[in-house]
Amino acid sequence: MAEKKVHEDQKYIEGLLQNNSFIIKAIYDKFVPKVINYIKLNSGNVDSAQDVIQETLITIYNQAKDKKLQLSCPFDAYFFLLCKRKWLNELKKSNSKEVTINESVLSKHDSALELADETELFEGKQLLFNQMFQQLGTACKDLLKTTFKIKSMEEVAKQLGVTYAYARKKKSLCIGKLTKLVQASPKYNRLYN
Amino acid sequence: MNDQDYITFEAYISKTLSEEEIIGFEVRLEGDQDFKQAFITYKELHSFLGHKFENEAASKAFKDNLGTISKSYFKTENKSKNTARFAPWKYAIAASVIAILGFFLFNNFSDPNYSDFSNHEHISLTIRGGQAAAIKTAEIAFNAKDYSEADAAFKSLLDQDSTNTEYQYYRAISNIELDNFEEAEALLGKLQAGNSVYQYKAIWYLALSKLKQEDYRSCITLLNAIPEEAEDYKSAQKLLKKLD
Repeated sequence: MAEKKVHEDQKYIEGLLQNNSFIIKAIYDKFVPKVINYIKLNSGNVDSAQDVIQETLITIYNQAKDKKLQLSCPFDAYFFLLCKRKWLNELKKSNSKEVTINESVLSKHDSALELADETELFEGKQLLFNQMFQQLGTACKDLLKTTFKIKSMEEVAKQLGVTYAYARKKKSLCIGKLTKLVQASPKYNRLYN
Repeated sequence: MNDQDYITFEAYISKTLSEEEIIGFEVRLEGDQDFKQAFITYKELHSFLGHKFENEAASKAFKDNLGTISKSYFKTENKSKNTARFAPWKYAIAASVIAILGFFLFNNFSDPNYSDFSNHEHISLTIRGGQAAAIKTAEIAFNAKDYSEADAAFKSLLDQDSTNTEYQYYRAISNIELDNFEEAEALLGKLQAGNSVYQYKAIWYLALSKLKQEDYRSCITLLNAIPEEAEDYKSAQKLLKKLD
Protein backbone atom coordinates (compact mmCIF):
# COMPACT_ATOMS: atom_id res chain seq x y z
CA MET A 1 0.00 0.00 0.00
CA ALA A 2 2.90 2.30 0.68
CA GLU A 3 3.58 2.87 -3.00
CA LYS A 4 0.04 4.10 -3.62
CA LYS A 5 -0.76 7.75 -3.38
CA VAL A 6 -2.88 8.63 -0.39
CA HIS A 7 -6.11 10.28 -1.47
CA GLU A 8 -6.95 13.71 -0.10
CA ASP A 9 -10.11 12.20 1.42
CA GLN A 10 -7.82 10.59 4.00
CA LYS A 11 -9.02 13.53 6.15
CA TYR A 12 -12.26 11.63 6.72
CA ILE A 13 -10.36 8.62 8.01
CA GLU A 14 -8.28 10.82 10.30
CA GLY A 15 -11.43 12.56 11.47
CA LEU A 16 -13.00 9.24 12.43
CA LEU A 17 -9.82 8.23 14.23
CA GLN A 18 -9.83 11.43 16.23
CA ASN A 19 -13.52 11.05 16.96
CA ASN A 20 -13.98 14.48 15.42
CA SER A 21 -17.71 15.25 15.54
CA PHE A 22 -17.43 17.89 12.86
CA ILE A 23 -15.98 15.42 10.35
CA ILE A 24 -18.40 12.65 11.33
CA LYS A 25 -21.30 15.04 10.75
CA ALA A 26 -19.79 16.01 7.39
CA ILE A 27 -19.68 12.33 6.41
CA TYR A 28 -23.37 12.02 7.21
CA ASP A 29 -24.29 15.16 5.31
CA LYS A 30 -22.20 14.41 2.24
CA PHE A 31 -22.14 10.66 1.77
CA VAL A 32 -25.00 9.13 3.68
CA PRO A 33 -27.99 10.29 1.53
CA LYS A 34 -26.72 8.21 -1.38
CA VAL A 35 -26.53 5.11 0.82
CA ILE A 36 -30.03 5.65 2.23
CA ASN A 37 -31.32 6.03 -1.27
CA TYR A 38 -29.68 2.84 -2.44
CA ILE A 39 -30.95 0.80 0.50
CA LYS A 40 -34.46 2.15 0.09
CA LEU A 41 -34.44 1.21 -3.58
CA ASN A 42 -33.30 -2.29 -2.66
CA SER A 43 -36.02 -3.51 -0.28
CA GLY A 44 -34.71 -1.64 2.76
CA ASN A 45 -35.88 1.30 4.82
CA VAL A 46 -34.39 4.22 6.71
CA ASP A 47 -33.89 2.16 9.87
CA SER A 48 -31.94 -0.52 8.08
CA ALA A 49 -29.88 2.20 6.40
CA GLN A 50 -29.12 3.74 9.79
CA ASP A 51 -27.77 0.42 11.12
CA VAL A 52 -25.75 -0.41 8.03
CA ILE A 53 -24.12 3.02 7.97
CA GLN A 54 -23.27 2.97 11.65
CA GLU A 55 -21.76 -0.51 11.48
CA THR A 56 -19.74 0.41 8.41
CA LEU A 57 -18.27 3.48 10.08
CA ILE A 58 -17.32 1.41 13.14
CA THR A 59 -15.56 -1.10 10.89
CA ILE A 60 -13.65 1.66 9.12
CA TYR A 61 -12.68 3.12 12.49
CA ASN A 62 -11.45 -0.24 13.76
CA GLN A 63 -9.43 -0.92 10.67
CA ALA A 64 -7.93 2.55 10.72
CA LYS A 65 -6.96 2.15 14.35
CA ASP A 66 -5.57 -1.35 14.02
CA LYS A 67 -4.10 -1.38 10.54
CA LYS A 68 -3.32 2.24 9.66
CA LEU A 69 -5.86 2.44 6.85
CA GLN A 70 -4.66 4.56 3.93
CA LEU A 71 -7.26 5.71 1.47
CA SER A 72 -6.19 5.29 -2.14
CA CYS A 73 -9.55 6.29 -3.64
CA PRO A 74 -12.32 8.79 -2.87
CA PHE A 75 -14.00 8.16 0.48
CA ASP A 76 -17.37 8.20 -1.23
CA ALA A 77 -16.60 5.22 -3.47
CA TYR A 78 -15.09 3.16 -0.66
CA PHE A 79 -17.80 3.95 1.89
CA PHE A 80 -20.66 3.39 -0.56
CA LEU A 81 -19.25 0.06 -1.67
CA LEU A 82 -18.87 -1.16 1.91
CA CYS A 83 -22.41 -0.10 2.85
CA LYS A 84 -23.80 -1.66 -0.29
CA ARG A 85 -22.09 -4.99 0.33
CA LYS A 86 -23.16 -5.03 3.94
CA TRP A 87 -26.74 -4.40 2.94
CA LEU A 88 -26.77 -7.06 0.24
CA ASN A 89 -25.33 -9.53 2.71
CA GLU A 90 -28.08 -8.63 5.17
CA LEU A 91 -30.64 -9.30 2.46
CA LYS A 92 -29.01 -12.58 1.61
CA LYS A 93 -29.12 -13.65 5.25
CA SER A 94 -32.75 -12.75 5.79
CA ASN A 95 -34.15 -14.07 2.53
CA SER A 96 -31.68 -16.85 1.93
CA LYS A 97 -32.16 -15.82 -1.69
CA GLU A 98 -29.24 -15.54 -4.02
CA VAL A 99 -28.23 -11.93 -4.34
CA THR A 100 -25.69 -11.08 -6.97
CA ILE A 101 -23.52 -8.12 -6.28
CA ASN A 102 -23.02 -6.23 -9.48
CA GLU A 103 -20.00 -4.05 -9.16
CA SER A 104 -19.32 -3.33 -12.81
CA VAL A 105 -20.57 0.23 -12.38
CA LEU A 106 -17.79 0.83 -9.94
CA SER A 107 -14.95 -0.48 -12.01
CA LYS A 108 -13.58 3.01 -12.52
CA HIS A 109 -12.49 2.82 -8.91
CA ASP A 110 -10.57 -0.42 -8.85
CA SER A 111 -8.70 0.72 -5.81
CA ALA A 112 -12.05 1.14 -4.03
CA LEU A 113 -12.87 -2.50 -4.73
CA GLU A 114 -9.49 -3.60 -3.50
CA LEU A 115 -9.75 -1.52 -0.36
CA ALA A 116 -13.29 -2.68 0.32
CA ASP A 117 -12.12 -6.31 0.00
CA GLU A 118 -9.40 -5.63 2.53
CA THR A 119 -11.86 -4.03 4.92
CA GLU A 120 -14.29 -6.90 4.59
CA LEU A 121 -11.56 -9.40 5.29
CA PHE A 122 -10.51 -7.37 8.30
CA GLU A 123 -14.08 -7.31 9.57
CA GLY A 124 -14.45 -11.06 9.09
CA LYS A 125 -11.31 -11.70 11.09
CA GLN A 126 -12.36 -9.34 13.88
CA LEU A 127 -15.64 -11.17 14.18
CA LEU A 128 -13.97 -14.57 14.29
CA PHE A 129 -11.30 -13.41 16.77
CA ASN A 130 -13.93 -11.96 19.07
CA GLN A 131 -15.99 -15.12 18.96
CA MET A 132 -13.02 -17.34 19.68
CA PHE A 133 -11.79 -15.06 22.46
CA GLN A 134 -15.11 -15.66 24.19
CA GLN A 135 -14.46 -19.42 24.05
CA LEU A 136 -11.30 -19.09 26.13
CA GLY A 137 -11.43 -19.97 29.81
CA THR A 138 -11.78 -17.17 32.34
CA ALA A 139 -8.17 -17.45 33.47
CA CYS A 140 -6.83 -16.83 29.95
CA LYS A 141 -9.32 -14.07 29.25
CA ASP A 142 -8.35 -12.22 32.42
CA LEU A 143 -4.65 -12.69 31.88
CA LEU A 144 -4.83 -11.39 28.31
CA LYS A 145 -7.00 -8.46 29.29
CA THR A 146 -4.54 -7.45 32.01
CA THR A 147 -1.50 -8.06 29.81
CA PHE A 148 -2.67 -5.84 27.00
CA LYS A 149 -4.06 -3.12 29.22
CA ILE A 150 -0.94 -2.78 31.32
CA LYS A 151 1.93 -2.94 28.90
CA SER A 152 4.71 -3.82 31.32
CA MET A 153 4.86 -7.55 31.97
CA GLU A 154 6.58 -6.92 35.31
CA GLU A 155 3.58 -4.91 36.39
CA VAL A 156 1.23 -7.63 35.16
CA ALA A 157 3.12 -10.30 37.08
CA LYS A 158 2.94 -8.20 40.22
CA GLN A 159 -0.75 -7.60 39.85
CA LEU A 160 -1.52 -11.27 39.27
CA GLY A 161 0.82 -12.37 42.04
CA VAL A 162 2.95 -14.60 39.80
CA THR A 163 6.55 -14.47 38.59
CA TYR A 164 7.52 -12.54 35.50
CA ALA A 165 8.58 -15.68 33.64
CA TYR A 166 5.33 -17.43 34.47
CA ALA A 167 3.21 -14.48 33.32
CA ARG A 168 5.03 -14.34 30.00
CA LYS A 169 4.77 -18.05 29.44
CA LYS A 170 1.07 -17.96 30.27
CA LYS A 171 0.50 -15.10 27.86
CA SER A 172 2.12 -17.06 25.00
CA LEU A 173 0.12 -20.17 25.81
CA CYS A 174 -3.17 -18.30 26.02
CA ILE A 175 -2.62 -16.61 22.65
CA GLY A 176 -1.50 -20.05 21.44
CA LYS A 177 -4.78 -21.54 22.57
CA LEU A 178 -6.63 -18.76 20.80
CA THR A 179 -4.56 -19.39 17.65
CA LYS A 180 -5.62 -23.03 17.75
CA LEU A 181 -9.29 -22.13 18.19
CA VAL A 182 -9.12 -19.69 15.29
CA GLN A 183 -7.35 -22.17 13.03
CA ALA A 184 -9.85 -24.90 13.87
CA SER A 185 -12.84 -22.73 12.98
CA PRO A 186 -14.65 -23.57 9.75
CA LYS A 187 -14.35 -19.91 8.79
CA TYR A 188 -10.57 -19.96 8.99
CA ASN A 189 -9.89 -21.26 5.49
CA ARG A 190 -12.20 -18.75 3.91
CA LEU A 191 -10.41 -15.89 5.64
CA TYR A 192 -6.85 -17.03 5.13
CA ASN A 193 -6.86 -18.36 1.59
CA MET B 1 2.11 -26.39 17.16
CA ASN B 2 3.26 -27.21 20.66
CA ASP B 3 3.60 -24.96 23.69
CA GLN B 4 7.24 -24.22 22.96
CA ASP B 5 6.33 -22.92 19.49
CA TYR B 6 3.94 -20.38 20.95
CA ILE B 7 6.51 -19.32 23.54
CA THR B 8 8.97 -18.74 20.67
CA PHE B 9 6.36 -16.73 18.72
CA GLU B 10 5.92 -14.46 21.71
CA ALA B 11 9.65 -14.09 22.24
CA TYR B 12 10.12 -13.23 18.55
CA ILE B 13 7.38 -10.62 18.61
CA SER B 14 8.64 -9.05 21.83
CA LYS B 15 12.19 -9.13 20.45
CA THR B 16 13.73 -11.13 23.26
CA LEU B 17 15.38 -13.79 21.10
CA SER B 18 19.14 -13.80 20.63
CA GLU B 19 20.52 -13.07 17.18
CA GLU B 20 21.23 -16.73 16.63
CA GLU B 21 17.73 -17.72 17.68
CA ILE B 22 16.23 -15.13 15.35
CA ILE B 23 18.07 -16.62 12.39
CA GLY B 24 16.92 -20.12 13.34
CA PHE B 25 13.35 -18.88 13.72
CA GLU B 26 13.29 -17.16 10.35
CA VAL B 27 14.76 -20.16 8.59
CA ARG B 28 12.02 -22.35 10.01
CA LEU B 29 9.43 -19.75 9.02
CA GLU B 30 10.58 -19.99 5.43
CA GLY B 31 10.66 -23.76 5.27
CA ASP B 32 7.71 -24.86 7.40
CA GLN B 33 4.33 -23.76 6.02
CA ASP B 34 2.26 -24.86 9.04
CA PHE B 35 4.63 -23.04 11.35
CA LYS B 36 4.38 -19.93 9.22
CA GLN B 37 0.58 -20.06 9.03
CA ALA B 38 0.31 -20.44 12.80
CA PHE B 39 2.73 -17.59 13.33
CA ILE B 40 0.78 -15.26 11.02
CA THR B 41 -2.41 -16.01 12.93
CA TYR B 42 -0.66 -15.63 16.28
CA LYS B 43 0.73 -12.26 15.24
CA GLU B 44 -2.65 -11.04 14.03
CA LEU B 45 -4.27 -12.13 17.26
CA HIS B 46 -1.56 -10.35 19.20
CA SER B 47 -2.30 -7.13 17.35
CA PHE B 48 -6.06 -7.68 17.63
CA LEU B 49 -5.87 -8.12 21.41
CA GLY B 50 -3.64 -5.07 21.71
CA HIS B 51 -6.15 -2.97 19.84
CA LYS B 52 -9.13 -4.45 21.65
CA PHE B 53 -7.88 -3.74 25.15
CA GLU B 54 -5.59 -0.75 24.80
CA ASN B 55 -8.17 1.30 22.95
CA GLU B 56 -11.24 0.11 24.80
CA ALA B 57 -12.09 3.56 26.18
CA ALA B 58 -11.40 5.41 22.92
CA SER B 59 -13.47 2.92 20.94
CA LYS B 60 -16.37 3.27 23.30
CA ALA B 61 -16.21 7.06 23.14
CA PHE B 62 -16.22 6.87 19.33
CA LYS B 63 -19.19 4.51 19.23
CA ASP B 64 -21.17 6.67 21.64
CA ASN B 65 -20.45 9.83 19.71
CA LEU B 66 -21.28 8.15 16.40
CA GLY B 67 -24.54 6.89 17.87
CA THR B 68 -25.53 10.40 18.92
CA ILE B 69 -24.66 11.96 15.57
CA SER B 70 -26.44 9.19 13.70
CA LYS B 71 -29.56 9.56 15.82
CA SER B 72 -29.77 13.30 15.31
CA TYR B 73 -29.08 12.98 11.58
CA PHE B 74 -31.83 10.45 11.07
CA LYS B 75 -34.24 12.44 13.18
CA THR B 76 -33.95 15.46 10.91
CA GLU B 77 -33.89 13.17 7.87
CA ASN B 78 -37.31 11.86 8.87
CA LYS B 79 -38.61 15.30 9.78
CA SER B 80 -37.69 16.90 6.48
CA LYS B 81 -39.54 14.08 4.77
CA ASN B 82 -42.70 14.71 6.76
CA THR B 83 -42.91 18.40 6.04
CA ALA B 84 -42.14 18.16 2.33
CA ARG B 85 -45.03 19.25 0.15
CA PHE B 86 -46.75 16.55 -1.80
CA ALA B 87 -46.49 16.59 -5.56
CA PRO B 88 -49.07 14.45 -7.40
CA TRP B 89 -46.53 11.84 -8.51
CA LYS B 90 -45.62 11.31 -4.91
CA TYR B 91 -49.02 9.74 -4.26
CA ALA B 92 -47.96 6.73 -6.26
CA ILE B 93 -44.90 6.39 -4.06
CA ALA B 94 -46.98 6.93 -0.94
CA ALA B 95 -49.34 4.19 -2.03
CA SER B 96 -46.50 1.73 -2.50
CA VAL B 97 -44.97 2.77 0.81
CA ILE B 98 -48.27 2.04 2.52
CA ALA B 99 -48.43 -1.31 0.77
CA ILE B 100 -44.93 -2.17 1.94
CA LEU B 101 -45.73 -0.90 5.42
CA GLY B 102 -48.81 -3.06 5.48
CA PHE B 103 -46.68 -6.01 4.55
CA PHE B 104 -44.21 -5.27 7.35
CA LEU B 105 -46.96 -4.76 9.90
CA PHE B 106 -48.58 -7.97 8.86
CA ASN B 107 -45.25 -9.69 9.26
CA ASN B 108 -44.74 -8.16 12.67
CA PHE B 109 -48.11 -9.12 14.02
CA SER B 110 -48.15 -12.67 12.84
CA ASP B 111 -46.19 -15.05 15.06
CA PRO B 112 -42.65 -15.58 13.87
CA ASN B 113 -41.94 -19.09 12.74
CA TYR B 114 -38.99 -21.42 12.56
CA SER B 115 -38.39 -21.12 8.84
CA ASP B 116 -38.09 -17.31 9.07
CA PHE B 117 -34.99 -17.76 11.17
CA SER B 118 -33.44 -21.09 10.29
CA ASN B 119 -31.26 -20.10 7.39
CA HIS B 120 -28.43 -22.61 7.54
CA GLU B 121 -25.77 -21.81 5.07
CA HIS B 122 -24.38 -24.42 2.75
CA ILE B 123 -22.02 -26.47 4.82
CA SER B 124 -18.60 -27.66 3.95
CA LEU B 125 -17.30 -30.26 6.37
CA THR B 126 -13.70 -30.82 7.35
CA ILE B 127 -12.53 -33.87 5.47
CA ARG B 128 -10.75 -36.42 7.61
CA GLY B 129 -8.90 -39.38 6.22
CA GLY B 130 -10.73 -42.69 6.14
CA GLN B 131 -14.19 -41.16 6.37
CA ALA B 132 -14.03 -38.95 3.31
CA ALA B 133 -16.84 -40.69 1.42
CA ALA B 134 -19.22 -40.75 4.38
CA ILE B 135 -18.49 -37.08 5.07
CA LYS B 136 -19.25 -36.15 1.49
CA THR B 137 -22.56 -38.04 1.66
CA ALA B 138 -23.55 -36.16 4.80
CA GLU B 139 -22.58 -32.83 3.29
CA ILE B 140 -24.46 -33.38 0.04
CA ALA B 141 -27.59 -34.64 1.77
CA PHE B 142 -27.60 -31.72 4.20
CA ASN B 143 -27.10 -29.13 1.47
CA ALA B 144 -29.82 -30.75 -0.59
CA LYS B 145 -32.11 -30.49 2.46
CA ASP B 146 -32.53 -34.26 2.51
CA TYR B 147 -32.41 -34.29 6.26
CA SER B 148 -33.30 -37.93 6.91
CA GLU B 149 -30.41 -39.01 4.71
CA ALA B 150 -28.18 -36.41 6.39
CA ASP B 151 -29.22 -37.63 9.83
CA ALA B 152 -28.36 -41.22 8.94
CA ALA B 153 -24.99 -40.13 7.52
CA PHE B 154 -24.10 -38.04 10.57
CA LYS B 155 -25.21 -40.86 12.84
CA SER B 156 -22.82 -43.29 11.21
CA LEU B 157 -20.02 -40.71 11.33
CA LEU B 158 -20.67 -40.20 15.02
CA ASP B 159 -20.59 -43.95 15.61
CA GLN B 160 -16.93 -43.80 14.68
CA ASP B 161 -16.11 -40.39 16.10
CA SER B 162 -18.59 -39.77 18.88
CA THR B 163 -17.01 -36.58 20.24
CA ASN B 164 -16.91 -34.68 16.94
CA THR B 165 -18.81 -31.47 17.65
CA GLU B 166 -19.22 -30.58 14.00
CA TYR B 167 -21.17 -33.80 13.32
CA GLN B 168 -23.18 -33.40 16.51
CA TYR B 169 -24.16 -29.88 15.53
CA TYR B 170 -25.33 -30.68 12.01
CA ARG B 171 -27.04 -33.87 13.13
CA ALA B 172 -28.96 -31.77 15.64
CA ILE B 173 -30.09 -29.34 12.94
CA SER B 174 -31.15 -32.22 10.71
CA ASN B 175 -33.25 -33.56 13.56
CA ILE B 176 -34.96 -30.24 14.16
CA GLU B 177 -35.85 -30.22 10.49
CA LEU B 178 -37.25 -33.74 10.89
CA ASP B 179 -39.20 -32.74 14.01
CA ASN B 180 -37.19 -35.20 16.13
CA PHE B 181 -36.89 -32.58 18.81
CA GLU B 182 -35.80 -34.88 21.61
CA GLU B 183 -32.79 -36.18 19.72
CA ALA B 184 -31.89 -32.68 18.51
CA GLU B 185 -32.13 -31.11 21.93
CA ALA B 186 -30.07 -33.83 23.58
CA LEU B 187 -27.24 -33.15 21.11
CA LEU B 188 -27.54 -29.38 21.42
CA GLY B 189 -27.64 -29.58 25.20
CA LYS B 190 -24.30 -31.37 25.13
CA LEU B 191 -22.80 -28.78 22.76
CA GLN B 192 -24.11 -25.92 24.83
CA ALA B 193 -22.44 -27.30 27.94
CA GLY B 194 -19.12 -27.85 26.19
CA ASN B 195 -16.73 -25.24 24.96
CA SER B 196 -16.49 -25.95 21.27
CA VAL B 197 -17.09 -23.33 18.60
CA TYR B 198 -20.70 -24.48 18.53
CA GLN B 199 -21.39 -23.55 22.14
CA TYR B 200 -23.46 -20.44 21.33
CA LYS B 201 -24.78 -21.75 18.03
CA ALA B 202 -26.24 -24.61 20.06
CA ILE B 203 -28.24 -22.21 22.24
CA TRP B 204 -29.55 -20.47 19.13
CA TYR B 205 -30.73 -23.74 17.61
CA LEU B 206 -32.20 -24.89 20.92
CA ALA B 207 -34.24 -21.68 20.81
CA LEU B 208 -35.27 -22.36 17.22
CA SER B 209 -36.26 -25.89 18.15
CA LYS B 210 -38.54 -24.46 20.85
CA LEU B 211 -39.88 -21.95 18.35
CA LYS B 212 -40.77 -24.71 15.94
CA GLN B 213 -42.64 -26.45 18.77
CA GLU B 214 -44.35 -23.14 19.57
CA ASP B 215 -42.96 -23.25 23.09
CA TYR B 216 -42.42 -19.49 23.09
CA ARG B 217 -41.60 -19.16 26.77
CA SER B 218 -38.62 -21.54 26.61
CA CYS B 219 -37.59 -19.95 23.34
CA ILE B 220 -37.40 -16.50 24.98
CA THR B 221 -35.40 -17.82 27.94
CA LEU B 222 -32.86 -19.39 25.58
CA LEU B 223 -32.62 -16.32 23.36
CA ASN B 224 -31.83 -14.22 26.39
CA ALA B 225 -28.94 -16.55 27.20
CA ILE B 226 -27.15 -15.75 23.93
CA PRO B 227 -24.30 -13.33 24.73
CA GLU B 228 -23.56 -10.25 22.72
CA GLU B 229 -20.39 -11.70 21.21
CA ALA B 230 -22.24 -14.62 19.68
CA GLU B 231 -22.65 -14.67 15.93
CA ASP B 232 -26.40 -15.08 16.27
CA TYR B 233 -26.88 -12.34 18.83
CA LYS B 234 -28.52 -9.98 16.35
CA SER B 235 -30.88 -12.59 14.99
CA ALA B 236 -31.71 -13.56 18.56
CA GLN B 237 -32.58 -9.97 19.40
CA LYS B 238 -34.68 -9.69 16.27
CA LEU B 239 -36.60 -12.82 17.18
CA LEU B 240 -37.03 -11.63 20.77
CA LYS B 241 -38.59 -8.43 19.51
CA LYS B 242 -41.05 -10.37 17.42
CA LEU B 243 -41.97 -12.62 20.31
CA ASP B 244 -42.62 -9.69 22.61
